[in-house]
Formats: sequence, structure tokens, C-alpha cells
Amino acid sequence: MNKYCITLAALAASLPLSAQNRPSAGAVATSPAGGSVQAATAPAVGNRRRAPERPKGPTPHLADGTVDLSGVWNGGGPIGDIAQGLKNGEKAEMTPAGERLFKSRQSKDDPEANCLPTGVPRIAPYPWRIVQTPTHVFFLFEGNIHSFRQIFVDGRKHPDDPDPTWYGHSIGHYEGNSLIVDTIGYNDKFWFDFAGHPHSESLHTIEKYTRSDLGTLEVETQIIDPVYYVKPFTLHFTATLRPKEELMEYICQENQVDAQHLIGGAGLN
Amino acid sequence: MRAKTAKSAVLIAAAGLLVCAAPMFAHHSFAAEYDANKPVSFKGTVTKVEWTNPHARFYVDVKDANGKVTNWNFELASPNVLSRNGWTRHSLKEGDTISVQGSQAKDGAFLANARTVTLADGRKVFAGSNTDNEGK
Repeated sequence: MNKYCITLAALAASLPLSAQNRPSAGAVATSPAGGSVQAATAPAVGNRRRAPERPKGPTPHLADGTVDLSGVWNGGGPIGDIAQGLKNGEKAEMTPAGERLFKSRQSKDDPEANCLPTGVPRIAPYPWRIVQTPTHVFFLFEGNIHSFRQIFVDGRKHPDDPDPTWYGHSIGHYEGNSLIVDTIGYNDKFWFDFAGHPHSESLHTIEKYTRSDLGTLEVETQIIDPVYYVKPFTLHFTATLRPKEELMEYICQENQVDAQHLIGGAGLN
Repeated sequence: MRAKTAKSAVLIAAAGLLVCAAPMFAHHSFAAEYDANKPVSFKGTVTKVEWTNPHARFYVDVKDANGKVTNWNFELASPNVLSRNGWTRHSLKEGDTISVQGSQAKDGAFLANARTVTLADGRKVFAGSNTDNEGK
């Protein structure tokens, strides 16, 4: 959970919306800096939806035995900082060139804030859908500027010299309950996270999408970029099935007026 | 229909209501735009509503102690997030008298991120973006 989040404990059960008109309790909670903040600014006793339960059940399969990854998912990649996905003391150690670029980045320049794609492995805080066909797998993104990825699962190879693009050239194959996706041909324009972790056009990613049960999609992404990182590292995230969700339209360019108000170096949140 | 459902019962997490001091994880950095440690609170008349992505927005004429009126721009979550939380595009209307609490833009603009809004009918509703972030 995010460091800014505070907990107002012991608020249980369901509450009629009419009860929202009641004066809120003046609870006090701990701020990130350790001081107190007024709960009066955030008694969000409103119509915020509780995150749905993760559906339970066995891993589904298609008629031919291939793991069935289809459905609407939420999460599965970094948003704030790729470090959130590192395990076992592993580090995303940057080269001097990577460090220089990382430290120079300004929030206002984040492509995500400017309604440009997240690239890989970054995820937007909106649902996304996996669609499988015998030859292609598509990731349809609600957020992330309402774009899509395509992964070729028809046995083709990477082209020798692909044009650099936001999602690169992806080929995949199945191993048990996993889809393995190998991607090259990325451009160097997207950021890995709000923090501004960089990559070069040499980026090579190997993603492993494992449907470990009905409601869980484990996402491991190996990042290989010798230009900006000392050695490869692997990120671990988990997506949750949202069986009752449908993707909605999200045209980010429609009314983007935030980027010009962003100030300071790139940061977590 | 969805709004009626929301009216009938608003579920609050049984183990404790999680409230974020900084509505995180929009399509942009929250901390780079707003100061979560300087909450602001206003009451005024809605002059315009934009039910648009990446954020819904509404504008409010706010009168200060000297009678000077300033038009403020309040950022909400996206229409997608708001809809999933029971809002509709009719929840806020031009001419409504509302109050709003949130965080002001760091650059000094008459711009703020709205966290809670007390609607014209008295309902106090959550307006932020900090949902759907489980699973990292």
C-alpha cells in the first residue's frame, strides 16, 4: 500500500449513502512525515468502490489445452517505481549514463502524463483485457491511451532490424500455464515508471504471464538493457481478474491539462 | 441504476477504511502537481463541468472575504473511475452550490485536486483517483 495511505480503523459494515450527510468523525491519522493530518480533509465516506475480491478457482484452459489467459485484468506492472517489483534483494542498478538520464528527468516530461503510451512493463491504473487467437494475443488497454499490444504466437521470428516503436516487436509461445513474450525493437521514449527509470533502444524484455489460478495472473518481466543497466533484472507483479468489468473508452488526449502544471524532478507519485 | 445501487448501500472495508492523503496513480504524478500537505476547502457555485478524460473537471466561482470572485478549476478522477464509483455526468451541474476539499496546485494556479465534494443535495462523495491499485 502506498506510503501516503492512512487507515481509519474499525469502520465496518455497509452504510447507506444518506449517512454520508452526518458529520464525520474527526479522526486523526499519521502523515507520511510522521505528523498528523486532518482526517477532515479526507473522510471519503463516499461512494468509492471497494476493490472486488479476487475470483477463486482453477486455471482455465482452452479446448486444445492451451492456458486461457482471456479476460479483464487489473494491475500487473509498475506504476510508481519499478523497485516495487524487485525481489530477493535484487537491484535495478543503472550504468553511469543511466543514472545521469534518470536524475535529469522532470515530471512534466513523463510521456504517461502527456498522454503517450506506457510501453513495457509499466501499467496504467485502469483495467485491460487479454484476447487470444491461435495466431495473435492482444492486450487491449483502457487507460494507457486506449491502445493495444499485439503478440505474434504463430511461430514467426523477430525481423532483423525492426523500426523502434512504443511496444516493440513481440513474439510469444506457451509453456504450461504461461505465455512467454519476447520483445525487441522498442523506442527509447517511454519511461518505466513515475520515477523516470530510463531505457535505451537496446531494451529487450522477456515477459512470463502465468495464470496460476482463475483470478491470478503472475507477471514476471526480465529487463535487459546493457546501455542503461549494469545487468538484467526481473520484476514481479500480479494482475487480478475482474470478471464483471468491461473496458470503457479513455481518450487521454481529450482534455489533458496536467502536464503544464507538473513541477520538479520525476518522482514516485 | 448504478447510482441507485450506490445509494442503497455503500460498502466500507470491514477491516478499516483505507483513505489516501494523496490520491495516487492518475496518469500523472500527483506529488509533482499538488501539495497533499496543504488541504484547501471551498464553497461556491459551479460554472462548468467537463466530463472528459483523462480527468473530469469542474469550475467553481469562489468569493473571498472581500467579495472578489475567483474561478477555480477542480480536477476529479477520470469519468471511468467516477462512473465505477457511482457518479454520473449529472452528479455536478452548472449552477449547483457545492463545497469541495482537496489539494491546491503547487505552481500557484487556481487549480486543485478535489478529494471530497459535497454535492448540491448534501451528499458528500469521494472524488479521487486512488482505486484499483491492488496487485501493485
